[in-house]
Amino acid sequence: MRKNIKYSLLGILSLGLALTIVSCAMKNPDKLASELVPVEGNPLASFRVLLDVGSANDPAGKEGLCQLTLSLLAGGGSKSLTFKEIQKKFYPMAASVGLRVDKEMSVFRGTVHVDNLEKYYDIFKGMLLEPGFREEDFKRIKTNQLNFLERTLVSNRDEQFGKEILNLMMYEGHPYGHHQSGTVETLKNLTLDDIKAFYKEQFVQGNITIGLAGGYPSDFPAKVMQDFSSLPEGHTTQLSLPEQRMPSGLEIVIAEKKTPATAMSMGFPVSISKADDDYFALWIAVAHFGEHRQHLSLLFQKIREERGQNYGDYAYADHFIQGSKKFPGQNFCRQQQYFSIWIRPLANSNRHFVLRQTLRELKKLVEEGIPEERFELARTYLLNYTKLYAQTLSEILGWKIDSKYYGYKDFLAEVQRRLPRITHQDVNSAIKKYLNFENLYIALITDDAESLKNDIIANAPSPITYANPNMPEKILEEDKIIQVFPLDVKPEKVTIAPAADFFQKAGVPKSN
Amino acid sequence: MVKFRPAFFSLFLLVVVPIMLQSSGILPFDYRLEELENGLKVVSIPQPDQPEVISYYTIVRSGSRNEIEPGKSGFAHFFEHMMFKGTKNVSIEEYTNFIIQLGAGTNGYTTDDYTCYYVVFAGRENLEEVVRLQADKFINLYYDEEMLKTEASVIEGEYYASVSNPSRRIYELLRDTAFEKHSYKHTTLGYLRDIMDMPNQFKYSKLYRTRFYAPDNAILLVVGDFDHDQLMKLVQKHYGGWEKSNYELVTPEEPPQTKAKRAHYDFPTRTLPRIAIGFHGPAYSEEKIDKAALDLLAEIAFSRSSSIYQRLVIEEQKCLSLDTSFYNRRDAHLLIFDAVVKQEKDLPYVEKEIFKEIEKFKKEPVSEELLSDVKSNLKYSFINDLDTTDHIAGELAFYINLATDPGTVNKLFDLYEKVTPEDIQNMTKKYFKKTNSTVATLAGGKAK
Repeated sequence: MRKNIKYSLLGILSLGLALTIVSCAMKNPDKLASELVPVEGNPLASFRVLLDVGSANDPAGKEGLCQLTLSLLAGGGSKSLTFKEIQKKFYPMAASVGLRVDKEMSVFRGTVHVDNLEKYYDIFKGMLLEPGFREEDFKRIKTNQLNFLERTLVSNRDEQFGKEILNLMMYEGHPYGHHQSGTVETLKNLTLDDIKAFYKEQFVQGNITIGLAGGYPSDFPAKVMQDFSSLPEGHTTQLSLPEQRMPSGLEIVIAEKKTPATAMSMGFPVSISKADDDYFALWIAVAHFGEHRQHLSLLFQKIREERGQNYGDYAYADHFIQGSKKFPGQNFCRQQQYFSIWIRPLANSNRHFVLRQTLRELKKLVEEGIPEERFELARTYLLNYTKLYAQTLSEILGWKIDSKYYGYKDFLAEVQRRLPRITHQDVNSAIKKYLNFENLYIALITDDAESLKNDIIANAPSPITYANPNMPEKILEEDKIIQVFPLDVKPEKVTIAPAADFFQKAGVPKSN
Repeated sequence: MVKFRPAFFSLFLLVVVPIMLQSSGILPFDYRLEELENGLKVVSIPQPDQPEVISYYTIVRSGSRNEIEPGKSGFAHFFEHMMFKGTKNVSIEEYTNFIIQLGAGTNGYTTDDYTCYYVVFAGRENLEEVVRLQADKFINLYYDEEMLKTEASVIEGEYYASVSNPSRRIYELLRDTAFEKHSYKHTTLGYLRDIMDMPNQFKYSKLYRTRFYAPDNAILLVVGDFDHDQLMKLVQKHYGGWEKSNYELVTPEEPPQTKAKRAHYDFPTRTLPRIAIGFHGPAYSEEKIDKAALDLLAEIAFSRSSSIYQRLVIEEQKCLSLDTSFYNRRDAHLLIFDAVVKQEKDLPYVEKEIFKEIEKFKKEPVSEELLSDVKSNLKYSFINDLDTTDHIAGELAFYINLATDPGTVNKLFDLYEKVTPEDIQNMTKKYFKKTNSTVATLAGGKAK
C-alpha cells in the first residue's frame, strides 16, 4: 500500500508537466460555470466551489446571514449524515471542507488524495447540495459566530480588529459596510428559516463556478457538473454598488481598550482594481511603499529597520487581509477596492510619532513620486515574486478564477507581459491620480484614547527615545521634523468608542 | 524516479561522509545527505519536474532549548533577527537589493529547538549567487552595538503584536509552571523582562554566535529545480571556510514532577476562557515506541472525530475548540490538551472531562478500527502537504532538525505502523499521572 502511494505521489511534484487548462468559454448566466485544471498523474485533487455571493448580499437587517448560511453547509451535517458522522468519515482521509466568505464572493475549498476522491466527493456533494439544516448545528455555528464578533475579534486580534474598523469607516451605509459575521444585533435575530431561504435563493446554478484541479479521472468533471445541475437554474444579479465615500480630511476612529500597544490601519477607497490598465503602475508604486512582509517596503525600512518601532509596516493597492501569509490569497474579487496601510502594534508611547511618520511618508510619495532606481527595483521584484504566487493546485485554481473575474485569460501571465512596458512616468502618474495624503480614514486601537486625541488635535510635539543612545545623526535630524509634522485633524473628526462596543450594531459606535 | 549514482564516485573530494542515497518509505522522493569536513551537513532533494522553483533552507540548532543561562530567554529568536544585518563583504543594502530583485520569498523563524532561514526563488541560474550570499551571511555576519540595540526594539514590537492573544498567554503560563529547570520553561519569544534587557546583550550575542552559528550546528536543505553536483560544488566553495564551533550544549536536566501543579491568568480584556493541561512526556525518537504511541493517542482521544470532541464541542457545545499538542522535541517536552471554553463556569467541568477521558484510555485498549483510522489520517496529513518545494522543505526542516537524516520520517511512520492498542494503553498509564500534570486556566476581565 505504502509503495503505491510513494509512486503515485511523484505526481505531486510534476505540476509543470502536464498542466492543461480547460474552461467554459461561453455560458448561460443561469447555469453552472467551471474552471478545470487537469494535471495528469498528480496524486492530489483540489476543489474550489465558488459562489458569486458574499456578505454584501446580506439583506438589510440580516447582516451575517451569508456567512452563517455557508458556515452551516461547511460545518454542519447533510441530509444523510450528521456532522459527527461527516467528521468521522473525513478523518482517515485527513480531509475537510474549508470556507471563506468575502464581500461579493465566497468559496468552499478542499484538497484530497486521489485515493480518497470518490469517498470525499460523495460527502462534499451532500454537504453542499443536500444540507441537513439541523437545529443543533445552527445553534452551535451561530454561537461561534457571535463569540467571534463579541470576544475574539475585539479582544484577541487587534491587528485584524484595526482592519475591520477601517472597513466600517470606509463603507458606512454601503453593502460592504458590515463584517462578514454581521453584527451582534442582527446575528441574534437570524433564524434557521432565514438560512433556508437564503440558501434557496442564492445557491442556484448561475451563481456557482465549479473549480477542479489535479489528478482526477477524466470523466470526473462531467459527473460533478451533472450533480450540481440538480440545483435550480438562475443567478443573482451583480450588486449595483453606491459610489464609495471618500474621507473628508483625516477621519479618525479610536477603539479604546486596556493595552500597552497601539494597532493602526488607514486607507481610502480607490476607483481601480486589477481589471484596469493603471492597476499595474499603481501596484509597482505600492510595492515600493509597503510590500507585504518584504524588505522592499519603504515603510518597513523607515519604521522598523531604521527605528525599531514595531514588527512590520505595509501598504496594499487592493483588499488584502491575510496578515501572516506570504502570498496574496485568491477569490477576494470585488467591484470596488481600497488602498490601505497596516502599521503593526507598537508601544503606546510612540503612537503619535509613528502616525505622523506614516502620513509624512505618504505625503512624500504623493508629492515626489518614487525614485527611478526604486521603480526599477520594485518592478523587477514583482516580475519575479509573482512567479511564486501559484504553486499549489488550489492556488492555480484560485488565480484561474480571479483571472476570469478581472477579464484576463491568465492574470499572472498578464503581469509578465504588462510590467516590462510600464514606465517610471506611468507609476508616478498613477500615484498622483489615485493616492492622496490629506483625506484618509484612520483606525486606531489603543489605551488612554482621550490623551491621544488631544495630542493629535493640538499637534503637540511627539518626540521619541531609543534604546540605542547612538542613533545615526541622519535619523535624529529626520525625527525632529517628524515629531512636529502637522496633522490637520478637526476635533469633530475623531470618534472614540470602547472596543467592546464595536460590531454590536451597524457602523462605527457613537463617541462616548 | 531519479536514481543517484553512489556518492563515493563524487567528484568533490573535499566533501566527506556520504551518508544516504535514497529513500524507502513514506517519503516519495530520493534524497542525498552529505557532510563537509567542517561538519556542515547538506540535504539535497532535486526535483527536476518542479519547474523553476528552488527552496533553500538553512537550519541552525538554536532555539529556546539553547537559552540555558538566566536572563537570556528569547535570545535564539533575537539572534535570528540579527542575522539580517549584513556582513563586511556584502552590506545589508546590497544583500537586500539582491533578494528584492530575485523576488524571493525569504524570512526566518525560531522554534524551541532550531532556527530556520529560507530563501524560495525562481530560476536555477540564481542558485550560485544565493549560495554565495547565504554562506557569506553565516560566515561573515557583522553588526555593531548600535544595530543590536535598534533591533532589540523590534523584538519588543513583536511582543506587542502578540500581546492581545490569549492563546500565547496561557501557553507561556503553562510552560513556565510545568518546567522547573529546563530551558523549555520559556517560549521562543522569551519573558518580557528579558526582551527589555536585550539592548544590553551585545557581548553575550557574540558568545551566542560563536557557540551555535557554526557549521557543525547547521544543516542546509535544498529542494527544487537544481543539479545536485552543481549544488555541492557551490556549497564546498562557499561554505568550506566556515569554522567549527565544537561547543557542546548541555541543557539543564528537568527533575521529575512529583505533584500536580496549577496556575491562572487574569486576561485584562473580555475573552473566551481557556484551559491547558500539560503532562511531561518523552523526547522525539524514531526507535522507542513511547512517543509514537502517544502521538496516536493524541489523535484517538482528542481529534475532531474523538468522542470527547464530539461531546464537548458538537453536542454539548461547552467548548469552541479542543486540541492536543504533543510536541516532537529534542528533549522531553509537554503533552498538552487545551480547550477554548464558551463560559467560565464550565472550566471545572471541561477539566474534569479531560481527566476522565484520559482515565478511560488507561482502562480500555482502543479499537483496532480506530487505530487504523488514525494511522491513515497521519499518513495522508503528511503526504498531502508535500505538494510544492517549499512545503517539502518546510515539513522536512522540522525532522532534519531532530535527526539530521530525512529518513527519520520513514522510520517514524514505520514505528506508527507497529503501535498496538496495548502500547497506547501502557503509555497512557506511564505518562498521564495526576502528579505529572499542570493545569493552566485563563479568563477575561471586564471589557473596558
